[in-house]
Order: sequence, then structure tokens, then C-alpha cells
Amino acid sequence: MTSEGEPVSDAAARLLAEIHAARGLLRAAPASARPGAAALWAHALREPGAPVDLAVARAIRTDPDTARRYRTLLAGQALAHAPLAIAAAHGPVSSRRIGPFALEILAATEDAPPLLILRGVVARPPRLIEAILGDETLRLALPAPVEGVILLALDPAVPEAVRLGDMLRDPACAAFLL
Amino acid sequence: MTGGYDERCAADLAAVCEGRDLSREDRAWLARVVTGAVRPNRDKPLWDLAHALAALARLTAAGEARDLVSLALDPGLARPAGLAARLGEGRVQGAAADARGLVLTVGAGWRTTWAGLARLLALAEFLLTAEDLGQFALVSGWFGDLAAAPDGEAAAFLGKRLARHLAAYRNDHLPLAPLERRFRALLGHLRGRTDFGDDDILAVWCAEMEQGERVGFRTVAEHFVTFEAAACLRGGLDGLAAAESLDAHAGWEERLDASLADLVAGEPAEALVDLLAGLADGPKSLNGPKILTGAERDDLADLLRLEPFHRSRPLTTLRATSFGRVQSGLANRLRRGGGGPEIAERVACAEAETYPALAERVGALAAHLDRMLRIAAALRVPADADGLGPEVRAALAAALSDIRRVRRAGFDDPDRLAAGFAQADTALLRLAEEVGRLQRAVAALDRQRPLAPAFAADRDVFARTFARAYASEAAA
Repeated sequence: MTSEGEPVSDAAARLLAEIHAARGLLRAAPASARPGAAALWAHALREPGAPVDLAVARAIRTDPDTARRYRTLLAGQALAHAPLAIAAAHGPVSSRRIGPFALEILAATEDAPPLLILRGVVARPPRLIEAILGDETLRLALPAPVEGVILLALDPAVPEAVRLGDMLRDPACAAFLL
Repeated sequence: MTGGYDERCAADLAAVCEGRDLSREDRAWLARVVTGAVRPNRDKPLWDLAHALAALARLTAAGEARDLVSLALDPGLARPAGLAARLGEGRVQGAAADARGLVLTVGAGWRTTWAGLARLLALAEFLLTAEDLGQFALVSGWFGDLAAAPDGEAAAFLGKRLARHLAAYRNDHLPLAPLERRFRALLGHLRGRTDFGDDDILAVWCAEMEQGERVGFRTVAEHFVTFEAAACLRGGLDGLAAAESLDAHAGWEERLDASLADLVAGEPAEALVDLLAGLADGPKSLNGPKILTGAERDDLADLLRLEPFHRSRPLTTLRATSFGRVQSGLANRLRRGGGGPEIAERVACAEAETYPALAERVGALAAHLDRMLRIAAALRVPADADGLGPEVRAALAAALSDIRRVRRAGFDDPDRLAAGFAQADTALLRLAEEVGRLQRAVAALDRQRPLAPAFAADRDVFARTFARAYASEAAA
């Protein structure tokens, strides 16, 4: 209370504190240059084979912090239209679970290339698969499911398909279904 | 100006401001929303955002979270014109876009302008990317819930969720309680006055210290800077507390944003000193001329940091510089647990720089900046350029030949020198102007309240206050 008997206003003090912090924030040091969320998000939404922002791709490859933020956006996107989720690698490396999906890679036979099989009961089938192993990222389009099963031939004539199979066999490889 | 936020919050906000290249006013608005300096209801922007997202979801047929996230993160939609071009003149059931902006027609109805929508999307980006994307999955999931059924009810629900979410963020990243307490002390001391003097600032600081709050004199002075800005903004703090009267005060929000933006734009101290930091001794300076030494930069930062008090309250500026250094020395020694003079010796303020000595240094800095400005001018304008009067010509020639007498790194290499000055001369001009104003203010103070006795009197006050506040450590 002041001598005039007026209460010292808590509300005024609160507002002044908020204004004070806002002023401080406006003067705070600018962020360091790095790919912003918008650029990473655009990268996460890219179509396979579409042109990519090389600076963003390089930052994801070389900067662990950027890679982590990119994966967060990727995972958040998958989670956002759940129930697609990040791969949890377990079991034999020729098969793994990716959220509600079972992914299996059948070895090549004499007359057929290796085959990637994706099974899962969800409302919306994934359109894309992205594999991330170390600093390597690979994104491929998935064909439409046939009777609930997506089949992708890992054609030896298509280097990306071969590489995808190799990466997915590695237990350390992360996989995102988008 | 420090306190009230942590580094995470500053980085989160800066990332959005820079990514969207927001105007100063929009930065100020977003900073206010984040800290909660919105009245009468600090949750109103979140309610607005939820309704904007509902209208956008309808208008763009966004059925999923990713669609709304894409709208929020699209730099092409950061400006009102971009929004109008993308969404203008659309109409679907429940939502429409017209020449003025976005309208949600379901529920109680709601509308915003394109400029308002641009701001709200910046807020959406902040909420999505805050904590370095730590809450991205959660918030985008909420966007997805709204996108699934974008009606008035879902918008209101999302508004509540976001308000709770931002309140939790404030709890974690905006330690406002100490600021609030200090402003209460300030308001209590002023008892309804909005005008105050240097001695009010000193009195509030002394009272805080008496109560065992080891708050920096500079920190208390910073609170007065904000108080003055808010008080002159309102033309009095009479209604600052009363929500209704704020609401009735048309244009208050806009003026607060403009004022915050002005304060930031008119901030010579840290921004400009930082700009010059590279030219003093930072790593980027390896090739630049040493226009300022590290010590000169530190002096300038200390002297100008209480903007605008270096113009209007030179005594507080001198106090903060002289005794602020003693106090940070005390705090540093306590933190480190040793090093340098003992506490008992420090509290006596024997090493505090006297005001006449500080005034002399201000004069030397002003003279140095003036010399650098002349060199900058000479490097920009050839002395044989057309249309120059003989006096200007002579001054430019003198400045050019002065370069040889500057014994600093980089002044012996014409190319480095020209490049370094070209980068720095705008900042240099601002700094020189502000230091000149400080110099004049200190000279005026000296005539009114001579510096030597003023310092002696202040040293008694600060030494007494420090001695009491740090008595236990001084005795140890």
C-alpha cells in the first residue's frame, strides 16, 4: 500500500515485467545462420527425384543438430498423420517393424531381384519411404498396395533400389514411411 | 536489457523473426505475445490463431496436420500480399477470403486482416518450432485434430490448448517473477508518480539491496528504462493496470508495438557495439582495421547500454558504469570463490572509477570516434571530388594523412582499411552521435551538480550499501 492508501498494482507490475522481457527479447542476439524450419520442412515434403536445396541437404548430412531437427520434422509429419511412425529396428535385419507396418526383404532368387514387402493395416497407405543411415539419406516412392501389401522390386539395374535394400538391412538404419 | 527470458526462448523467437524476415513491428508483436504483454487478455492471439487455422483449413481443404504446418511454415505466406494472392477471393462453406482478409463464418464468426493473418502464422511457426522443435509433434498433432473438423468448437478447443501450452512455455523459459517483484518495488516507491529522477533509481536499488536482494544497480536502472518507455507511451500509468481502460484506449496495442519497435531500432548500444565488435578483436576482424579496441568497445557498451538514459540521465549512466563495475566485480568474485581483491576491499569502492575520470574517457571516446568518422569520410569521398568547398577539401586531406598516424592494426593496408570502414561507417556514425550526446549531457550535469563531489557522495552510498549487503562475505 502507498501512503495515499492505493494498492500498488500487481497487474501493472506484471504487465511491465512482460513488456520488459519483450524488449529484452527484441534486443537479444540474432539466431545463427542455419537452415530454418521452413527449409527443412520443404525438404521433408519433397518428392523423390525432385530438385533439392543442396545447402539444406548438405547441412542435414554434415551438421548433427540440423539432422536431428530434420528427423524431428520428418517424424512429426509421420506422427501427425498417425499411425505411421519411425522405424524401430529389431529382430533379424531382413525384417523389421515400422510402426504398424512389417517390412521384409526377400533375398534374390535366380530369376527375380530382391523384393521389399510392406504389410500393414492402416487407413492411408504410405506413399514414400525414406531411409537414413549415418549421413546418407535415400527417399523412394512406393507403389500402391495390392490387397493391402506394398511390393517393391529392388532391381539391380536401379542403383537407388539396391542401395535402399542394403541400407534397410542395416539395423542402424532409420526408416520413415510418409 | 537482460532478464525475464532464457537463451532457448531468445533463439526460438529469433529463428522465427529471421526465417520470416518480420518487420520490426511484427517482431515486437510476436515478442509481446510470447511474454504475455497483451491486454486485456493475453490468450487472445491464441484464440485468434486457432480460428485463423480453422478458416484456412476450410479454405484450402487442408485435411491433415501437414497441410496446416505447410501453411504456417511457408515463407511465401509471411507477408500480407502473399496471403492475399494465394487465398484472395476464395469462398467455401464456413469460410471466405475477401479483399480485406480472412473470415470464418461458422460458429460465432471471426475475421482478420491479411496483415493480422501474417502475424498469426508467425505465431503458429513459433509454437510449432519452439524449444528447437521439441514440441513439434505435439502441436502439429493438435493442428491435425483441428484440420479433421475445422468448426468453431474445434477452434475454441485448440485456442485453449495453445493458451495452456504457451503458458507452460512461459513458465519454463520466462522467469518473470523477479522482474515483477522489482516493478512492484518501483511502483511502490514512486507512489503513482510517472516522473522520476536519478535519485529515485538509486533509492529503489538501495532498498532492494537492504532487503537482501543482490540486484545489480544497472538491472534496477533497466527497469526504470522500461517503466519510462511504458509510462510515456500511455501518457501516464493510471490505467496500465485496469484491463477495461486499456481496452478502451484505442490503438494502445499498435502504439505499444510501434514503441517497442522504435526502442529496438533506436538502440545504439548493443547492436552497434556488436557490429563493431568484429572490427575490434573478434575472429572476423583478422582482416579488418582495429577501429575500436576491446576496451573501447566495452566502455561504449557500458556507457550506452541504458539507452536512452545516456542522453536524459547522465548521472545514472555514470553510476551504472562506475559502481556497476564494482558490483559485477563483487558478483564475479563470489561466483568464482576467489581472485582479485578481497570482498572487504571491494565493497569500499576504492577502485570505482571517478565521474571526472569517466567524463574524460567519454571525451576521449568522442574524440576517437570523431577521428574515425573523418577517416571514414575521407575514404568515401576523394579529396579532389567536384563541388567540395576548400574547407571540406582540406579536412578530407587532413583525415587521409591522419591515417598514417593511427597506430592500430589494419591502418597500414589501404585495401583492408577501405573495406573495413565501408562496412562500419553507418554504425560508426550512430555511435559517434550517441557518444556526443552523452558527452553533452555529462557536461550539463557537471554544471548543475559538479562531478567530483557527486562521485564522493555516491561512493559513500554505494560503499555503505555494498558493505551491508556483503557483510557476511566481507567478514569471512
